[in-house]
Amino acid sequence: MADQQDLPVPALSLQGIDKFFGTFQALANVTLSLFPGEVHCLLGENGAGKSTLCNVIFGVHQPDSGIMFRAGEAYKPSKPHDALTAGIAMVHQHFSLVDNASVLDNLLLGQSRGWIDYGQQQRRIENTLQGLGLSLDLQAKISALSVGERQRVEIVKCLLRDPSVLILDEPTAVLLPAEISALLTVCKRVADLGCAVVLVTHKLAEIQRIASRATVLQSGRVVMESAQPAQEIDSLVRAMIERPGQVNMPALTPVASIPQARRYALSDEVLQLNGLTVRDALGVTRLDNCTMVVNRGEIVAIAGVEGNGQSELGAVLAGMMPVSDGQVYVAGQEVTGASPQQITRAGVGIVPEDRHAVGCITDMSLTENLLLNHMNHYSRYGFLQRRKMRDQAQALVARFDIRAASIDVPFGGLSGGNQQKAVLARELTLESLVLLVAAQPTRGLDVGAVAAVYRHIQEARDRGVGVLLISSELDEVLAVADRVVVFYRGKIMGTSLCGQHDRRAIGAWMAGQAA
Amino acid sequence: MNNLLIKLTPAQWCTNSHIRTLLVMGGATMIAVLVAIVMIISFGVPVSEALEAFADGAWGSPYAIGASINRSLVFALVGIGFVLANRARLTNVGGEGQIAIGGIAATAMSLYGGCENLPYGLAYIVPMLCAALAGGVWGAIPGWLKARLGTNEVISTLLLSFIAIWLLYWCVQSVDLLRQPMTSGGTLPESLTIPETTQLPLLWPDSGLGIHLGLAITLVLGVVVAAVISRTRFGFSLRAVGYNPQAAKRAGVAITWTMVAALAIAGALGGLGGAIMLQGDQYSLKAGFSSGYGFDGLVVGLLARNSITGVFVAALLFGFMRSGGINMEMVAQIPAALVLVVQAIVILILAGSALWLSRKGEKV
Repeated sequence: MADQQDLPVPALSLQGIDKFFGTFQALANVTLSLFPGEVHCLLGENGAGKSTLCNVIFGVHQPDSGIMFRAGEAYKPSKPHDALTAGIAMVHQHFSLVDNASVLDNLLLGQSRGWIDYGQQQRRIENTLQGLGLSLDLQAKISALSVGERQRVEIVKCLLRDPSVLILDEPTAVLLPAEISALLTVCKRVADLGCAVVLVTHKLAEIQRIASRATVLQSGRVVMESAQPAQEIDSLVRAMIERPGQVNMPALTPVASIPQARRYALSDEVLQLNGLTVRDALGVTRLDNCTMVVNRGEIVAIAGVEGNGQSELGAVLAGMMPVSDGQVYVAGQEVTGASPQQITRAGVGIVPEDRHAVGCITDMSLTENLLLNHMNHYSRYGFLQRRKMRDQAQALVARFDIRAASIDVPFGGLSGGNQQKAVLARELTLESLVLLVAAQPTRGLDVGAVAAVYRHIQEARDRGVGVLLISSELDEVLAVADRVVVFYRGKIMGTSLCGQHDRRAIGAWMAGQAA
Repeated sequence: MNNLLIKLTPAQWCTNSHIRTLLVMGGATMIAVLVAIVMIISFGVPVSEALEAFADGAWGSPYAIGASINRSLVFALVGIGFVLANRARLTNVGGEGQIAIGGIAATAMSLYGGCENLPYGLAYIVPMLCAALAGGVWGAIPGWLKARLGTNEVISTLLLSFIAIWLLYWCVQSVDLLRQPMTSGGTLPESLTIPETTQLPLLWPDSGLGIHLGLAITLVLGVVVAAVISRTRFGFSLRAVGYNPQAAKRAGVAITWTMVAALAIAGALGGLGGAIMLQGDQYSLKAGFSSGYGFDGLVVGLLARNSITGVFVAALLFGFMRSGGINMEMVAQIPAALVLVVQAIVILILAGSALWLSRKGEKV
């Protein structure tokens, strides 16, 4: 507290902010100060509360308790307009630009009333641009711009309001490396002009480059604050991914402590990635020349800070994203660019990262969801065999301990844990299962459900199924995986073997440093 | 249905969805009829005279009943197709054009396709099949556009309808196409009457009802489609694609094929409806052949709220109202458009009550 007197008055300070969505606490007692001239990085995994915090500051959500001060005065925004009036601007992850209008029109949108003096406005904008060392073609249509340029328009739009606080919500997620570099330069310059810049990110290289301070959120709480983030990358990573209360997950420890006897020769490869490269629709390289194998009867985990290519790997293996280069083999059979159906037929079970979007159909019944991708076994001459479906569903519900009022209830009414157990049940009972790809299989589940999920995954492994586990829960990964492969920016940084896991090395790989 | 009414207490009536649908439908019709009576009075026509004309036309004689039922067949066929496509969350607005295309195909086959002398009823079956095929192609196009390019099927089916309607107009205007040979200046722009062998046979020729084979075909197709929807793997795929295309794709459902098939079947039913209209009662193709039946069929499908039984009920309602309205115009000089007003009121009340009930977290 003492050294705070040396600091200038915060541009914005938050004290004891709580925010609930229903019974879910998104923010818990968050206290945070933003000072003029600093680039403040806000870190945390998905769901840690970063976006909620930004939205509270920007007036989209109102806190349930706690107070905010702007330049020493109480600040209680009830809508984003209040925030803008108070000099707080935000660039959202999804742009809000009018595609068919020019850059100039977009910049003036909502900032001018009545008569527009285009000449004068243009001069004002050009001055701002010059001050930032930016260039923008004001007459170009938004639809003709690249993603990086569009983002620049969004930022300039905010800066024209001359804000004292600028919030950027994961601005680098969509950018190419060169554009990221340019964006960081702009952030620095905006901060130098006396603005407090809040940068939401989970990319550590960016923090290293420009953060003057950093705050780590986990489950809505501030778990670490750092005044020299560049020197404390390792601890920041640990604060982001470690769950102090859950290191010894009782349900996992006994299983993990049993030494893993290798029952299958290493040559029993069920998955082989050969120089796999994936570029997304915007041309950004998401997976960069990945080569790895998964053998029969082992769990290989993909670890890494989120957004480093794990989602894309899961999507490619599910047949939901095209491969740009390289090959994928399942049990010796090439499945590069195969359809979801072919992949299922090759014996790959998929537990997708986004359960609701890809893993299940919430409006259909539990039975139908349990059999979704093996309907060919439950129809004869095109007619569904309802009795056979019911019997199988009942068997799966019993075997996987899925709690539901009946097998005919809509899937959407089940709890998250039971939904995930049902998805697992479906994928693990594929006829010729050789490989299970489970992406974030425990996200959003309670401890009991987490244990159940891993018990089933381990059982599958013991049956000789190869498991590729994509997870950002490092503790879980270390407890169940036979090997851990760390991804950073779509590249494999290193591999750690069971029994020899070195948290420090893994942490370094996750931060993009070769150990 | 009567059994159900007796078995349930009044409180249960309101919670049983079938009965509630019927109650809402009945209530809506009654309100609409009251409005119609007010309008009849304002025309200066005695209400009793108008209603008598309406009743005469709708169900006053065996012939009237038969005509009303025949009329409702097209509504039912388009409605059945609508319900099927709607399972995949596809909205087929193109019934009107699919009827027109079916009518063109059936006329062409009946007159010039050499069907006249085919044995075993093939003389009338082949034109119907061709009409269904043509309507199916007309429906498949929007399905393909939707699956591949994301084109909204509401717009593409509607636009294709306009193309089909003008195509029909062209067919009956040009002697090189389907117009009857010009023997005098007074030759009407319509096709020749189709040969008797290609006309649909009556189900009960001696009854005076005039109900033709189309009724049997429609009933059978209704049962078949109901079974397809609820009991087949294709019906399962339709629902999966409708609810969550991403998850359906992951589960191995061929999205493109399912969408194309759904709209093609809806189109085929519309095309068949056109053939039944032509071969069942009109016997010659004229401009304005489809006369809004496709759009009425769409409304029938909407009102039925995904139930094939509902389609039949609504189709009959519309069939009788249309017949009664036409007679009212001829006998009591009240514009037949009054029936359209009544229909519109029914639709608005039903749609409104559906919205109201869904706001309460329920479904009609």
